Amino acid sequence: MATIDPLMTPLGQMLLEEITPVVMLISTPSVEEASLKNGLSFLQTLTPFCSFDNIDVPVRTASDQPYRLHKFKLRLFYASDVKRPDLKVAKEQLKQVITEAGEKEFPDSSSDLPEINLELSSSSEYQNTPSWFRFLNKELVRVASFSDHEAFDHPVICLLAVSSKDEQPINRFVEFFNTDKLPSLFNDGAMDPKISKHYLLVHDNQDGPADRASRILTEMRSTFGTNDCSLLCINSSVDAPFKHQDNPWASYITDSSSTPSQGLGCFLNMGDIDEIKVLMQDLSSKHIIPSMEQKIRILNQQVSATRKGFKNQIKNLWWRKGKEDGADSLSGPAYNFNSIESQIRVLGDYAFMLRDYELALSNYRLISTDYKIDKAWKRYAGVQEMMGLTYFILDQSRKEAEYCMENAFNTYLKLGSLGQLNATRCGLWWIGMLKARDQYKEAATVYFRICGEDILHSAVMLEQASYCYLLSKPSMLRKYGFHVVLSGEQYKKCDQIKHAIRTYRSALSVFRGTTWSYINDHVHFHIGQWYASLGMYDVAVKHMTEILSCSHQSKTTQELFLGDFLQIVEKTGRTYEVTKLQLPVINISTLRVIYEDFRTFGSPSAANTRESLWRSLEEEMLPSFSAAKTNWLELQSKLILKKHSQNVCVAGESVKVTIEFKNPLQISIPISSVTLVCKYSASTDQVISNEIESSMEKDNKVDHFRNMSSDNSSFMVSEVDFLLGGGETTMIELSVTPKEEGTLEIIGVRWKLSGTIVGFYNFELGQPKKNIKGRKTKDLPNEKFKFMVIKSIPKLQGSVHPLPGKAYAGDLRQLVLELRNPSEFPVKNLKMKISHPRFLIIGKQETVMSEFPACLRKKTDSVQSDLHANPNITSNTVFLFPEGTSVQGETPFLWPLWFRAAVPGDISLCMSIYYEMGDVSSIIKYRTLRLHYNVQVLPSLDVSFQICPFRSSLEEFLVRLDVVNKTSSESFQVCQLSSVGHQWEISLVQAPDSIFPSQSLMASQAISCFFTLKKSRRLPTFGDNMSTLPVRSNARLVPQSIEDIVYDINSAPLVNFHHYERLQQEVSYKGDLNTVDFVLISCPFKSSDDPGFSNPSSVMSHHACHFSTASTGPISWLVDGPQTMHHDFSASFCEISMKMHIHNSSGATAFVRIDTLDSAGNGGHMNSVNVVQSATTDNQAGWHDITPVNELKVTSNALETQPGKALSLESASSYIWSGSSSTHLHIEAMSSAEIPLQICVFSPGTYDLSNYVLNWKLPSNGQGDRDEKKQHSGQCQGYKYYLTVLQST
Amino acid sequence: MIVCVAVVGHQNNPLYIQSFTEADDALKLHHIVHCSLDVVDERVNNPKRSGPMLNETFLGLLYPIENFKVYGYLTNTKVKFILVTTDLDVKDADVRNFFRRFHAAYVDAVSNPFHVPGKKITSRTFAERVSTIVKSFGFSSAG
Repeated sequence: MATIDPLMTPLGQMLLEEITPVVMLISTPSVEEASLKNGLSFLQTLTPFCSFDNIDVPVRTASDQPYRLHKFKLRLFYASDVKRPDLKVAKEQLKQVITEAGEKEFPDSSSDLPEINLELSSSSEYQNTPSWFRFLNKELVRVASFSDHEAFDHPVICLLAVSSKDEQPINRFVEFFNTDKLPSLFNDGAMDPKISKHYLLVHDNQDGPADRASRILTEMRSTFGTNDCSLLCINSSVDAPFKHQDNPWASYITDSSSTPSQGLGCFLNMGDIDEIKVLMQDLSSKHIIPSMEQKIRILNQQVSATRKGFKNQIKNLWWRKGKEDGADSLSGPAYNFNSIESQIRVLGDYAFMLRDYELALSNYRLISTDYKIDKAWKRYAGVQEMMGLTYFILDQSRKEAEYCMENAFNTYLKLGSLGQLNATRCGLWWIGMLKARDQYKEAATVYFRICGEDILHSAVMLEQASYCYLLSKPSMLRKYGFHVVLSGEQYKKCDQIKHAIRTYRSALSVFRGTTWSYINDHVHFHIGQWYASLGMYDVAVKHMTEILSCSHQSKTTQELFLGDFLQIVEKTGRTYEVTKLQLPVINISTLRVIYEDFRTFGSPSAANTRESLWRSLEEEMLPSFSAAKTNWLELQSKLILKKHSQNVCVAGESVKVTIEFKNPLQISIPISSVTLVCKYSASTDQVISNEIESSMEKDNKVDHFRNMSSDNSSFMVSEVDFLLGGGETTMIELSVTPKEEGTLEIIGVRWKLSGTIVGFYNFELGQPKKNIKGRKTKDLPNEKFKFMVIKSIPKLQGSVHPLPGKAYAGDLRQLVLELRNPSEFPVKNLKMKISHPRFLIIGKQETVMSEFPACLRKKTDSVQSDLHANPNITSNTVFLFPEGTSVQGETPFLWPLWFRAAVPGDISLCMSIYYEMGDVSSIIKYRTLRLHYNVQVLPSLDVSFQICPFRSSLEEFLVRLDVVNKTSSESFQVCQLSSVGHQWEISLVQAPDSIFPSQSLMASQAISCFFTLKKSRRLPTFGDNMSTLPVRSNARLVPQSIEDIVYDINSAPLVNFHHYERLQQEVSYKGDLNTVDFVLISCPFKSSDDPGFSNPSSVMSHHACHFSTASTGPISWLVDGPQTMHHDFSASFCEISMKMHIHNSSGATAFVRIDTLDSAGNGGHMNSVNVVQSATTDNQAGWHDITPVNELKVTSNALETQPGKALSLESASSYIWSGSSSTHLHIEAMSSAEIPLQICVFSPGTYDLSNYVLNWKLPSNGQGDRDEKKQHSGQCQGYKYYLTVLQST
Repeated sequence: MIVCVAVVGHQNNPLYIQSFTEADDALKLHHIVHCSLDVVDERVNNPKRSGPMLNETFLGLLYPIENFKVYGYLTNTKVKFILVTTDLDVKDADVRNFFRRFHAAYVDAVSNPFHVPGKKITSRTFAERVSTIVKSFGFSSAG
């Protein structure tokens, strides 16, 4: 960086070109006329020869050391142009330049967005920034030229050109000096009017030989002096136009688009050009440079005399101070050309132009303070500016240079509009300086500061600033983006739409791919709008589609975006088609393809049920599964579905696709004509179609889609219209129905947004990598959408009616399965399987017409139990419809089903019906019809039972039934309770009337009622086929007078349902003969009028199974003896005999040992009042067992297992067991034994005879070990048995 | 007055931007915050500071733009906090204090098990807390 010669930098080059001596050209009209023959003005003719690359002139300025100038340049201006350029014209011109650049640089709409190439940006700014910037900046610098406050634009020499054709050429030369023709700089005293002159006589060789010209030249020489006069002959190429190899003028003529550059200088031959060259070189080396040298020397002397040295400085200071209160205008005092200040400035500028920068700098420094003291701000700023440049070129102090430039810049800005142009120029130089040192970031801020009030100007500056950010190291891409957007905004404000688009597009490259959606939306939206305003609707639409799904924006913004978008689309005048329209959003993960091959679905819900569920259900029915297993050698080709991994569908049957559409906006959008895009090919060969497809992939997608959608002769697609509200998500079902055999492929979906714009979505492209849930997940993704269409085969349609959507638990209904076969071919070999036999069972054909619920009622007592004795007929197996069942034609095939809502909850019932094709020879041999129903089962009656043994007799139990109505509104009538179990008989304890006074159970009402359960007396003797024949016995709960009916729970559906209930509620121990099941039959009370239940049920059954009567073990016993006894204790103690009946209810011989305990005070004394008192009044310290009083009373009914420690604290045992203290006995299975017991009582009182223990043991066999422990052996405490002994009188 | 606060993820994706002005200048503030990331990058990549300042999370004044001053803060997980304020004489201590509290609020917000790291912060509690912090800005050290 430091090694770069400052003069070689862009700024250095520019300074070498721009800060050069000015030659003022004054010419007569005839001179111009002569040169115009070449298509050039005289100035233009000379201009190419004004810069010299190797002039090699020795220069000696103030110092004595001469140095040589190699490169030199002159600037030629007509006298009329030596003035400040007109601001308005200049502005117009700049605007023109910008507009032209806009046209030229306008990006091709089809081109991709510009990529920011960081590699490239590091190389050079010239490759990256648009070239018109340089031109524009040059123009901006030129606009500020010819200011009176700086001297380098002042002409150093005046070139006077007179043609040899002119009359009295000498006089013409003199006339030029009429003061009114001279530029204002001379007249207002800013410049010395005594400028050195050079007299040039121009001769046009076409006018004839140069005789007259040479005569005039002699005359001139005598008048003006020999050195200052010269002759130039032009247009020597008289006959033929001269062709220049590389036209020297071409690059200088910028604004002449009208004249072809070939014609330029056509009459100037090489001799002429050489002559011009020599003329200009002589002019500069012999006249300009020496005169400048001379002037520098003179001025330097003057300055040294007046200003150098200590004395002069003091004097100057004092003098300045005195002048201070003088002029205080904005521009400061006017300085005449011969004022010392002006002279110093001229000296500095001349030295600068002759590249004696040291001299220039010292003079600038000298004058700078003066101007500052004088408050001549503009001049001060100008000098500071030059100081900065000089520092830069000398490469001395960067800080100083920058400080000076900033100072100058700020000072110019302070001047307001006066200094605006200069400020711009100064800023550009400053920027050049910063750029030369790679300080791009700082340069950008300067650009930012240059931005004035002029919008166009600031737009350009902002854009340049943005490029600086791009070029800075490291690149500040975001700032680049921001400034580009800012500049685009400004361009837009001054109608430079193309520039605006260009800038925004380059901003896109920054924001693309980021999540800064607000900015992205803004940029895309505006680009779209602007393209639309230019009439380029296609590109506009492209950009607008980017912002459609702007869910993060406010509702108004969304409306604006969508509105503008639709407007633009409307303007295109056709339905626009976009491959990836963002609106609405398609949730590809919800995509599901539903088709029917051998599987057919009765309802959409059936299709939505998991495939594995169906498979497990159908496993037993489908022949292919077993066939594949039986012989692996069998050719797999028979199993067509295995061979073709392709999906199969049947002609005439629709393939359905469900997919979710989501509206991300808050406004509702109308969507219409949603259809599937499908491809059909008649060939069924998979390979070929694959190739076709892959070649199609390369085609333009949009065209591809369009073709597909129009070709729908061989398939039919459904069309859906809907309105998506704000934020809504809708599941859409689309279908395609192939009509012919072949291959059908679903490619995507298309839809129309707001009726104008068509969107496409390709399923495969949008498909996520992982296989989504659906059919045949093992397939390749593209296989999923491809179907082999086979010819039409029969398809059963089936339904179950009237299956309620809602039912109360226990509800029992008769349903009908109805099957239809619309095709002409019959189907046969029907089989059916049901997933939940607990809820749904298959009835018998003959019951189709039978009346319900009357068929459930008991007709006679005759044959019932044997007929329906075996409920296992259909359990868990496939139901085969009778042989010869064939469904065809219009007549439906009916079959009864029984439904019972077993448990509350949402139940999904699956049914699968298998059938085989009759005569059709197709690759599909069989099909299954899948039916699926959802039933909501509400809780109705909550039934619970409690069984406890009667103490009064063996084999008799008290059953407590608790029924709670869980519904909120329904009333039920409880009709009947039946017990199902071995030998059990149930009967009511109370009369039905007393239980249900209102005859119904209201909502949330609870009742309890009691039954007795005892061994049936009428049963065959022990040892019969007891295990197979459970016995039912019923207890009616309704008064007989109301309905004289008894439901036969042995009838068809009830017994089957009961079977499944038993299976369901099964406990681990099977075969316990002491269990009993209860079936409660109820029916809704007639007042029910709920519309949700279309068909109020008439019968409900509640099943409760496996209630064991033996609550503690297989042994039950009963102590049988007197309750009250009178005895005269004065005579003797009382001996009381009792009997104990022991019953073994288990299936094996039980070994029982009875231990009577009367030691250790365990026999409780009796007076319960005393007991309670002693327990409560005893206040001994320490921990002791307090038996709660309440508990005693409550549990007295049940088995008393408490040994009653509290009771025995004080009392001595007041009775003793007499007889054997331990008795052993064996009791056969299901048999009873009787043991005598005896106690002795010594005083009257009430005795609790619970002081005995029964130990029982069952023989343990191998398998029995796995059963619960308590079943093998156990110990039972005796239960309370109160005996009151009174003193007999 | 604080005009805008922002949380920017470590991939320079906006996680949370909230402006506190009535005017509709969300876009401008987005731009300002977006630009400030350049300066953050610059600061982070060319650490002129050393020693005890090396682990400093507070990045200081990033840049002044128009009427705003932009301050930055970088957490250890490379999440940036940006503060845009209109106050022209802001005490560094105030800003530090603000960022400290803001950081605490952020940490609480992302500790929510339902927050997906790298996704926008949608917690209402966080928004409320931030607005409280913003309102109390400037008073904390003075009062």
